[in-house]
Amino acid sequence: MSPIYLYTIFTCLPKSITMLRRIIAIAQKEFIHLRNDWWMPAFMLFGGVLELLLVGWATSRPITNLPIMVWDQDQSAASREIVTTLINTDTFVIEDYVSDMDTIEDALDRGDINVAVIIPPDYSEKIADPSGQPTLPIILNGAESIPALAALRAIEGVTRDLGERITLQRLGMSPDEFESFIPSLRVWFNEALNEALYTTPAELGLMLEFTVLLFASLSLSREKELGTLEQLLVMPFSSLEIIIGKAIPVIIIGFVDFVLMLSMVNIAFDVPIRGSLLLLLILAFGYLLVELGKGMVISVISRTQHQAFLLVMLVGMVDFMFTGYAAPVEGMPKAAQFFANIVPAHHWLEIVRGILLKGAGLDVLWPHVLALAILGTIIGTFSLRYVRRALD
Amino acid sequence: MTAIIETQGLTRLYKDNRAVDGLDLDIQSGELFGLVGPDGAGKTTTLRLLAGLLFISEGSATVAEFDLASQSEAIKPNIGYMAQQFSLYAELSVLENLLFFADIYDVKKDKLQERVDRLLTFAGLTEFKDRRAAHLSGGMQKKLALSCTLIHQPPLLLLDEPTTGVDPVSRREFWNILTELHMEGTTIIVSTPYMDEADRCSRVGLMYEGKLVICDTPKNIRAQLKGDLIEVFPDDWQAAHQLAQTLPGVLEVQTYGETLHLFVDDGAKQLKAIEKSFNKNGISISSIRAAPTRMEEAFISLIRRLEDETSAK
Repeated sequence: MSPIYLYTIFTCLPKSITMLRRIIAIAQKEFIHLRNDWWMPAFMLFGGVLELLLVGWATSRPITNLPIMVWDQDQSAASREIVTTLINTDTFVIEDYVSDMDTIEDALDRGDINVAVIIPPDYSEKIADPSGQPTLPIILNGAESIPALAALRAIEGVTRDLGERITLQRLGMSPDEFESFIPSLRVWFNEALNEALYTTPAELGLMLEFTVLLFASLSLSREKELGTLEQLLVMPFSSLEIIIGKAIPVIIIGFVDFVLMLSMVNIAFDVPIRGSLLLLLILAFGYLLVELGKGMVISVISRTQHQAFLLVMLVGMVDFMFTGYAAPVEGMPKAAQFFANIVPAHHWLEIVRGILLKGAGLDVLWPHVLALAILGTIIGTFSLRYVRRALD
Repeated sequence: MTAIIETQGLTRLYKDNRAVDGLDLDIQSGELFGLVGPDGAGKTTTLRLLAGLLFISEGSATVAEFDLASQSEAIKPNIGYMAQQFSLYAELSVLENLLFFADIYDVKKDKLQERVDRLLTFAGLTEFKDRRAAHLSGGMQKKLALSCTLIHQPPLLLLDEPTTGVDPVSRREFWNILTELHMEGTTIIVSTPYMDEADRCSRVGLMYEGKLVICDTPKNIRAQLKGDLIEVFPDDWQAAHQLAQTLPGVLEVQTYGETLHLFVDDGAKQLKAIEKSFNKNGISISSIRAAPTRMEEAFISLIRRLEDETSAK
């Protein structure tokens, strides 16, 4: 080692020690705030867990017991049979038998029922007639699209079976003589098509974003609102010390939150961790830093905590739309697809889903990891510069 | 004595408004300097500029021998700045606030305990040291804020209206502390809306619309006022006020509650004449006396004159 190098170390050492001391002092102060303002860390740590618990719980069970209303104008064995078959799918439960359209319309308007079945008077007649074309009008409440889709799926199953039976009857064949077309479907990664396996990893990724973004965005806006930032700025801090000191609690709490949420979905909803846990944790840490940068920028822009919160909501919602969680990115217009690719949360969700459900490693996920690294570097550099400029 | 603050044409613009306009200040080390002026005169902006919180729009300044524009980081350890509004951490206890400041200003561990104890005693906060700052009274909060700015023993203190909204007893205590610091040699610049406080300063600068209009000792400022002061306690102050304005020899009339303060060209000569005029016009007065001019009257008179000049333009 050259003497000059040694000299540099020795002269810089005391400076970096006082720097470290100031950073620790500010991080310590942040933790005292958290200790005294208990709802804040409670929300940061357990808000996400609670949200995941509710989402997982609500989506982990199949949709059953949709209220259905029946107007049976035929009152025949055939009409009773179709109603019984529908009920036997477990998707529906009879709300009422009625004898006029007004009651049905009224019940739909009020949202009392999801489905109404109207059996025409000549239903059994047309089934019995070898050239008859029986129809079965069914009204679905499309305002609630998820139950409506579940109802549609159940109804299609029932009517397909019925149609097959009528065809066989008219051909005079017995079901044993007939082989129909059966597609051989196999679902990978989520064999039972359990919806919770889709929703909870995505929510897990999003909750990490939201927690970090919100927490970081309050860090400076809070001091501004309370007038304490002025005091910090007259102190012999460098802006970097303030930023690092403020970031430490966000990083710690955000990371602990992620581990808690991950354990919860793993234990409560059997979400598997098929890939490398270490890789997931490392990437979660990296992603957390990206969102931290965004949060800090929001924090310097906002004058109050209220403003910061609203900005987080706005940014969070835009990110949410482009993650591909609500609607697949592939179905979006080209420009929106491009935009989705510069939303870090989009790549992050692909990584979470890839590692948890598909057991994918870096060999497969590298485009997303690379994208996240590039976006992270750009956002990080910009945030650091911007926040430092604003503080100086 | 050496200058601890020197400004030449110090100016701060907010859009087109000159909040501080060409300030030439020269404050010597060891002074207790009062910055007075009506609301919006630019006192707070001046102090914030000197603390390095705002960028200078025009002019230049040196604080503690460092250039304010280019070496503001080097100035920071040399000053203690106390903002007008409470700007400590309300959720931290008294002691936690002090220790936080000590950490930031790099107070050495071996001196820390002694200094904290001294400041707590000094501010009368020893028995409240574990109480959260949010739960202190307004006066105690101000004293805590002052203690925090003193933890690194800065040679220069910038205090922005430290006693506004504080009860008279706490106000007096606060000023006793300031006087003590002043005696120890700390340079203090304090802005205040209270004229009795201005009277306690070694020098006072009066700001008006961003400009420093007068900068002198309280005694010299009072001497600038033309005439002598006569204090009148009338039974019907409104009628007395109307009459007083028409009397010969009366230069200016100020009301002070239901008391009238008259500035006359010659106190000794006019006292009897004015009393007579009141009696002649049937306005009874319970007492009338010659009184020494205080900063309060001087200040009002000066501001009035300035306002007249401004509106004349």
